[in-house]
Amino acid sequence: MSIIGIAIGITTIVALGLITTGMEDSVQSSLNDVGAEITVSNSSSVSTNTGMIDSEIVEEMKNRTGVIDAAGSLTVTEMNMDRLKSGSSDSRSSFATTVVGLAPEKLYMMGIKNIDGKVYENGSRDAIVGAEYAELNNVSRGDDITLQGKEFNVTGIFETGSPFVDSGIYVPLDTLQDITDNDGVSRILVKTGENVNDSAISEKIEEDYENFTTLTSEEISSIADDVLGILDTATLAVSALAIIVGAIGIINTMVMAVYERTKEIGVLKSVGWKSRKILTMILGETLVLTTLSGIVGSIFGILIPEVGLRLFDVTDFALGYSPKTFILAFGITIIVGIIGGIYPAYKASKLAPTEALRYE
Amino acid sequence: MDDYIENENAYPDDEYIYNETFIGEDGEEYYYEEPLISLFDVVKEYDKGTVKALNGVNLDIFEGEFVSIIGPSGSGKSTLLNMLGALDKPTRGKIFIDGIDLVKEKDLSEFRQEKIGFVFQLHNLIPNLSVFDNVQIPLLPTGMSNKEMKERASEIIRAVGLEDKKKQRPNKLSGGQRQRVAIARALVNNPSIILADEPTGSLDSKTGEMILNLLMEMHERYNVTLIIVTHDNGVAALAERTIKIKDGQIIEDKYNY
Repeated sequence: MSIIGIAIGITTIVALGLITTGMEDSVQSSLNDVGAEITVSNSSSVSTNTGMIDSEIVEEMKNRTGVIDAAGSLTVTEMNMDRLKSGSSDSRSSFATTVVGLAPEKLYMMGIKNIDGKVYENGSRDAIVGAEYAELNNVSRGDDITLQGKEFNVTGIFETGSPFVDSGIYVPLDTLQDITDNDGVSRILVKTGENVNDSAISEKIEEDYENFTTLTSEEISSIADDVLGILDTATLAVSALAIIVGAIGIINTMVMAVYERTKEIGVLKSVGWKSRKILTMILGETLVLTTLSGIVGSIFGILIPEVGLRLFDVTDFALGYSPKTFILAFGITIIVGIIGGIYPAYKASKLAPTEALRYE
Repeated sequence: MDDYIENENAYPDDEYIYNETFIGEDGEEYYYEEPLISLFDVVKEYDKGTVKALNGVNLDIFEGEFVSIIGPSGSGKSTLLNMLGALDKPTRGKIFIDGIDLVKEKDLSEFRQEKIGFVFQLHNLIPNLSVFDNVQIPLLPTGMSNKEMKERASEIIRAVGLEDKKKQRPNKLSGGQRQRVAIARALVNNPSIILADEPTGSLDSKTGEMILNLLMEMHERYNVTLIIVTHDNGVAALAERTIKIKDGQIIEDKYNY
């Protein structure tokens, strides 16, 4: 009975811990920033889909102080008419896919490094697709896809961890410029050197080019930090609630379990046991009880949300398994269990044996 | 024993020289044996003094005596026994047992463990432990080796005739058997004093007789001081000395033979 009581407390802490960590993980990976420190776009452009920046400016950017590399990218949106018609039920599928034209040697600036397959060459009709896109659209290496009315051959699939990047398609910049009849680029990705002030460089760019706006990765990550900060507070509140509910359950169980043994403690005292020996015995039993309950509670804490996710067919959310959750749950159980067990035992051991024996 | 003198309100060391012969004022030779147990003006109050369970008890009990304490319920006899077993402390007064000041001594666990074997009316066995484990409990804090403990517990269980019940839980035993387990537990650490609180109170007369015989046999075999609390005159008459108690005071103290 005691094990069940304590295990319920642990189940609460573990289950809510897994869910909140899972929430944090999924938000964090959505906000994963890209390789380039500064992104330059034309503030006068209505949409980033049109190449509003002259390709020559890319070279100018590269020669600025503090900048070690720059790349132009052209982004177009490919409407997915089939999906629109079939009305797919998959919540993650989108009706539009982002197609980015970027020179193959500059892909690292989007964080694209690990490619299953091979990268396209300049001028080719080859493309690489993000893992998320590939999974959703059932595309694998060697398949042909139609972009802007032209056939492209998929030569590789990449995964960066950022859902924004991973749901896109990357093709050679010159090919995309060619088929969309565009000379310019929609964005310039700027890579700065180490130990340089990104915001100073980006301010200087905005100063020199009237129409340009810049966004540094620091700004992006500060937005991400804000979101994560809010989430952290919410997580903390939920965890605190779980811990309080769990701890009260554990303390209650332990207090009752030991309180019921007041008479036994009286017997032990009357036959000559020292209070310290009685407390040591209760402490040992508490450790065994809480550890066993910890194992049982952790198993249920994993099983309940896992089964729940499967039951409601949730696929875009995974529980966040981190040792922190389990260490926290075990730590709290053991500490709270000891307090809940030792306190009544201490009180009982301080009673005169006759009073303890009178307890029924 | 004939020289027993009631020493009212006298504290040891003040007036008496124990264990030496001396010539009294009447020219006769006297010998004061040092008592094993001495109570001086012991008062025990409950509920902030409104209930006086013991009201000025003076008593000496000598080593190897078999004493019965008799009195109606509520007379304070169990309270007195609890004081002797160091299970409770008096509100006022002094208690010395084997030279130990029970009122001043802070940690009495060692005293209980070494000197006292207590047999409760309701056995007070631990229900989730076997007979063997229940008997072994008083030995656990002694630092005895496992082998010694096992031997000692087995020997005493054999002595009370429960060898075949060793592994059973107390709830599978009859009332008489449980009381025998309680006696075995009280004897296992070779105490010099056995205190039994109505040991036959919850038993039928035949079983009660058997338990009393067992206690008396232990008293004779090991020369332990045996003090039994009872409200049964028949049981009280078996003892060498009977102390009658009423309203927290001793009203009669006599030797039966």
